[in-house]
Amino acid sequence: MTGKKKGKLTKVLDYLKHEDPFSKGVAFCPGCGLELLLRFIPQVLGNDIVITGTPSCSAPVLLGQNNQSWHTLSYFGTLMTGAAANATGLARYYRKAGIKNTVVCFNGDGTAADIGFGNLSGAAERNEPFIYICYDNEGYMNTGVQKSATTPYGASTTTTPFGTASKGKNLRRMNLALKMAMHKIPYAATATLSDLGDLAKKLLKAKEAKERGFAFLHVFAPCTTGWGYAPENTIEVCRRAVKTNYFPLWEAINGKIRMTKTVKKPKPVSTYTELMKKFAHLNEADLQILQDDVDYEYCMLGGLSTLEAECHIPESVED
Amino acid sequence: MSPNKFFKHEGPWSDANDPLMCSDTGDWRTKRPVVDKDTCIFCGFCAIYCPIQVMEMVENSHFTPDLAFCKGCGICAKECPKNAISMIAEGDF
Ligand SMILES: Cc1ncc(C[n+]2csc(CCOP(=O)(O)OP(=O)(O)O)c2C)c(N)n1
Ligand code: SF4
Ligand code: SF4
Ligand code: SF4
Repeated sequence: MTGKKKGKLTKVLDYLKHEDPFSKGVAFCPGCGLELLLRFIPQVLGNDIVITGTPSCSAPVLLGQNNQSWHTLSYFGTLMTGAAANATGLARYYRKAGIKNTVVCFNGDGTAADIGFGNLSGAAERNEPFIYICYDNEGYMNTGVQKSATTPYGASTTTTPFGTASKGKNLRRMNLALKMAMHKIPYAATATLSDLGDLAKKLLKAKEAKERGFAFLHVFAPCTTGWGYAPENTIEVCRRAVKTNYFPLWEAINGKIRMTKTVKKPKPVSTYTELMKKFAHLNEADLQILQDDVDYEYCMLGGLSTLEAECHIPESVED
Repeated sequence: MSPNKFFKHEGPWSDANDPLMCSDTGDWRTKRPVVDKDTCIFCGFCAIYCPIQVMEMVENSHFTPDLAFCKGCGICAKECPKNAISMIAEGDF
């Protein structure tokens, strides 16, 4: 309207085709990555999704309080132990009843990687037709920042505190997304909040893939409160996680892995850890252990994404 | 009709057909994002990254936050490629 110079509106806005079903004032910390993710998903996938999930930071908002709700989506609250089994029941009911919709099983890493992993793996193996989204804040945030299987080496949490007897988690993290891709499901992918166009594409691919069976998204969603960084840095934390290959972006169709973003000159992992208090105590030797783990995982992904040259990869065995 | 097509009640006790619960999260803010309209190039990055999705488009010209709910996290200011957003202490208003 005015005469001043304008850039182009970001294309990400084109993916936001549906209303934000949440009320404007909801109970997430300022700068919470999970809040952005939760508002983003239905704006891309539509408001006719059924979300199901477990006790976690997402639950107080998804489940509602007193007699009221914070949003207009359909939500089914489950136990941490059986999230994917409950989603299986929902998805099978809708399929049997001939109701077309999308079941989204939405959980933190505590549920996905630890407490509810068995039935997640089972649902993937049976190729149940729903989308499972794990928002990874690398720990049990709602109960006060305990470590989970996806907590990285060296991170200080309340169960792996930095102090005289402990230097943070003394184990390397488990690669949940890779483990899920190895179920050879129709779709598995990693995504994060700095690359929202990539996230939107992967959400739409997951919705399409769930017509053929299980779809899994692993979304890196930083937690300002539990990780100890300034709230304004949430997107920067994601960006640096990608630029250091700490959290590489890839997708796998029927188990066949493809990088969706390659970083030309990956930065040292210290450019990522320096943003956060949970890593503040790491010395050079500790950082090297974390760096070696990042390099090893990336190397492994690289190998898996270029397997065609070496072996025949079966497409899928669907009818 | 409510977009909540599949369950009448969205939790065991909450009804999505009633008015939604809504906290005055604007009261949490210690710093307020202030957009310089002239520097803004209307790229929309502040809007897509705002966790609360409260950056509103004004006349196809610039973006402005809904201060009733903006929590003052500062992500918009940090992500703006033109530094068109300043975070000003609430006490200054
Ligand atoms: C079987 C079981 N164990 C423990 C709990 C207690 N609990 C409630 S919320 C929560 C944390 C969940 O962590 P995560 O799934 O990673 O989600 P986040 O809080 O990080 O969003 C735990 C352990 C529970 N509800 N059920
Ligand atoms: S504790 Fe972390 S994940 Fe939970 S609401 Fe706060 S910022 Fe979000
Ligand atoms: S990010 Fe900055 S330049 Fe872009 S629309 Fe927002 S205020 Fe304007
Ligand atoms: S300060 Fe945070 S909540 Fe407020 S408009 Fe900016 S990004 Fe949104």
